Amino acid sequence: MADTLLEIKGLHAGVADKEILKGLDLTVRKGEVHVILGPNGSGKSTLMNVIMGHPKYKVFGGSVAFEGEDITALPTFERARKGIFLSFQTPEEIPGITVENMLRTARQAITGKHERIFAFRKELKATMAELQMDPSYAERYLNVGFSGGEKKRNEILQLLMLNPKLALLDETDSGLDVDAVQIVSNGVRKFHNDDNACLIITHNTRILDKLKVDKVHVLLHGRIVEEGGAELVDVINREGFTHLQQKA
Amino acid sequence: METEKTLYSAIPMRTWRWLGVNEAYVPSDVVWNEKDVPAAADRKLSVAKGTVREETVVYRTEPSGRVTIDVAPGAKLHLTKVQLLPADKGHVDALEINVAEGAEAHVTIAELGAAETVTKVTINLNGDGALGDLAAIYLGSGSQKVDLNYVIRQAGRKTKAEMQVRGALKDRSEKIFRGTLDFIRGSKGSVGREREEVVLLNEGVRNRSVPLMLSGEDDVDGHHAVSVGKMDQEKLFYITSRGLDLSEAQRLVVEASFNPVLERIEDKALRAEIEQYIEERISDGK
Amino acid sequence: MEDLTKKKTYVEDIERSLYDIRNEDRSLYKSAKGLTEEVVRDISKRKNDPDWMLQKRLEALKIYNEMPMPTWGPDLSPLHMDDIVTYVRPDAKMTGNWKEVPEEIKDTFDRLGIPEAEKTSLAGVGAQYDSEVVYHSMQKELADQGVIYTDFETAVREYPDIVKQYFMTLIPPTAHKFAALHGAVWSGGSFVYVPEGVHVDIPLQSYFRLNAAGAGQFEHTLIICEKGSSLHFIEGCSAPKYNVTNLHAGAVELFVKEGARLRYSTIENWSRNMMNLNTKRALVDKDGVIEWVSGSFGSHVSCLYPTSVLRGENAKCEFTGVTFSSKGQDLDTGASALLLAPHTSANINTRTISKAGGKATYRSAVKVAPAAKDAKCLVNCESLMLDDQSRSDTLPVMDIQADDVEVGHEAKIGRISDEAIFYLTSRGIDEKEAQAMIVRGFVEPISKALPVEYAVEMNNLINLELEGTMG
Repeated sequence: MADTLLEIKGLHAGVADKEILKGLDLTVRKGEVHVILGPNGSGKSTLMNVIMGHPKYKVFGGSVAFEGEDITALPTFERARKGIFLSFQTPEEIPGITVENMLRTARQAITGKHERIFAFRKELKATMAELQMDPSYAERYLNVGFSGGEKKRNEILQLLMLNPKLALLDETDSGLDVDAVQIVSNGVRKFHNDDNACLIITHNTRILDKLKVDKVHVLLHGRIVEEGGAELVDVINREGFTHLQQKA
Repeated sequence: METEKTLYSAIPMRTWRWLGVNEAYVPSDVVWNEKDVPAAADRKLSVAKGTVREETVVYRTEPSGRVTIDVAPGAKLHLTKVQLLPADKGHVDALEINVAEGAEAHVTIAELGAAETVTKVTINLNGDGALGDLAAIYLGSGSQKVDLNYVIRQAGRKTKAEMQVRGALKDRSEKIFRGTLDFIRGSKGSVGREREEVVLLNEGVRNRSVPLMLSGEDDVDGHHAVSVGKMDQEKLFYITSRGLDLSEAQRLVVEASFNPVLERIEDKALRAEIEQYIEERISDGK
Repeated sequence: MEDLTKKKTYVEDIERSLYDIRNEDRSLYKSAKGLTEEVVRDISKRKNDPDWMLQKRLEALKIYNEMPMPTWGPDLSPLHMDDIVTYVRPDAKMTGNWKEVPEEIKDTFDRLGIPEAEKTSLAGVGAQYDSEVVYHSMQKELADQGVIYTDFETAVREYPDIVKQYFMTLIPPTAHKFAALHGAVWSGGSFVYVPEGVHVDIPLQSYFRLNAAGAGQFEHTLIICEKGSSLHFIEGCSAPKYNVTNLHAGAVELFVKEGARLRYSTIENWSRNMMNLNTKRALVDKDGVIEWVSGSFGSHVSCLYPTSVLRGENAKCEFTGVTFSSKGQDLDTGASALLLAPHTSANINTRTISKAGGKATYRSAVKVAPAAKDAKCLVNCESLMLDDQSRSDTLPVMDIQADDVEVGHEAKIGRISDEAIFYLTSRGIDEKEAQAMIVRGFVEPISKALPVEYAVEMNNLINLELEGTMG
């Protein structure tokens, strides 16, 4: 289908010799919001890392395609340039590189166009204001000395500035207070439109309040054991994962 | 005329001679030859595969010695070495521990007595996943001289080294601490930590700290830190405001600094003996 | 089944064509190889030394002959003093007019950007080619304020009283063997005198270029900042590559008087056949400040540990250094600080990088004398290893003889984390650029301390060094 963004078929993947994902299929189309639920260790973060091409993870079988092209063997930066973005669960602290420098370099790499410093800075400051970030953070080193909430906001800032086609949000709301979840959630809503898609891992339904969730997948022991619409979120919240254990 | 000195230990990499830290010599009143150690002072131990061994070495009257220990795969060694010699004696001692795959060496040292102490510890983390955990305290008072040369050599993959040394210097005492973390090429995934904290209790002491970190391997995570300073004056004021005199307050502060190491000594009687010894050294000396 | 683990490849050496263009050796005169009294007398005669200078040279030679080679540090065996030509006079006269500099020499400095920098960002420039300074100039306003900036030979001739008072008092020939060698055969270098209360707002720069093969460069730099004055001095060094060993044994003596402030910045980018055994010392009086910014890139072997002697109350030293050691290099660098008076403080901050079999050593000494009450000293050194063929060693010594002190030392060693690379590549930046960004970020504390043109130069050098690391 022309509007298919991500298509995963029969994916087996893991770390070193340990298989974590054991045959997984997933299709995400433009305009959709998908949510992945699952207990700790079910393979949620592995899935995100494999889609983004983390060198530590190995694909043992199956394929990952993006906009109809097989990207299973593609290095991470090429995937990013094609329009995939990962909001990290624990963003890296990198001393010496400012937020602005990294973002401008990244955007030039993705668009292939030179970004004029002043125009870029203006846009960055405006986006930071929307996320209620102190503008001085643009000059600070990447995530160094940021609080948990600031790091997550910085991830959403990058999401908005790089404007990918597919956003992978790995527990972007975890460890945040109510107000911070609100800001992050507004950011994701601002990003989302009919031409892009979100794949969200969350333990918290509040981030989903303002989004129209199209599909929910329950991941257990490396397999999708249940799929449904937005209503499945409430079912899982009420009943947990235990009743699905035998399906895994 | 310069008398012939016997070399006892040296740092793995030399530096400027004027600093006087490259080598340590056997004290002049000690007769000792590393190549010919009397059998009584030369202990060789081993910890069998998968077992746990607790060992305590105390120097109270016998001045010098050497202990060599092999820790077999998966075994655990808990060694406590305490030196409480009279304040008029010289002392040398060596400790060498070879740690095999998945084995652990936990070493706790209290270097407190003797007029002049020259001591060395070498822990070789030979096997993959070997652990070397060395915690030591020292106290210098009167005109004591303390010379420590600790080396943890990380050769196996994913080894872990922890070296923490806490000391206090008082009166006219002098001390040199050389602590080396040596990451050998191939020690991939290894982590090494070294930390020394020195409290200077009065003018006239001399502290030399030489924390070396050597690496032929990139896939390691090494860190060392040293801090040297006098007692926290706020803390001291607080304690004296409760009616304690200076030497009592000093003792409390020194004990507080030593406690994380002393707590590792399981033998309650030995620990009490050490605390008593520290108390006496801090209240007299001079 | 795709293994995404990255593969590393190495290149033999970096592209450094800019620095490597060597000119034909058109020297007017070269001393005989090796070091004898005849050679020293000959150099002295050709330089028209006054007799007191000749005596100093001969005294230094005697000390040189008596002193043993160092027993620590890098292997100095490639150095055969009998093969080193200690004095090479270029076919050029010292001039204050750039047009008069011979074409070929002018071209060399043009390529290195020296005249351009003089136009845009410097208040004065000196350029030394082999053993002699070929060009020297300074803005007239500074001369009017009494600032002296000249080549060292002119200083010996025109300001003998000042030179006699300071020359080789901070680095006496007895300091070590190569200080003695320097004392015997020194040639060229810069002399700066900043009178009381004068602030030189724009930097002065001397550039040292060693063109002749198998030669030594022994320039002497003497800077005196009188009471309450300030200066930023920049030193640049380079040489083309030869298959024979060249030697650089310069000496830098800095006198920072009461309340004065001196910043001394260096980017050394010697070729890979250079033995760089350089000595730099600063003596700082009450309330004075010495700031060192030191970048060590090229050379086969370097031994460089700028030393700050803080003898006045409240004197301060700041040292920021970066060292990048690649294939075939053994760079032994660091700093020393002697805190001799109350309320003195030293701050030492270094970054070392090693790659492709290069060896980088951080070596330092901090001494706090009994009189130095309320002294503070903070040392922070971080080492980054880019592969498992290289070495990185840290060997600091602290000798604390006062009790009312605050001394802290911290060192780290490690590599670029895979997670940091993944984070940046997940934002669309390719691996090579991600690695370069992280290395640049690693040395950020140092580039921040440099004027912007030099920070750019340092980043370029780092990019050159990194080129080809990733396959």
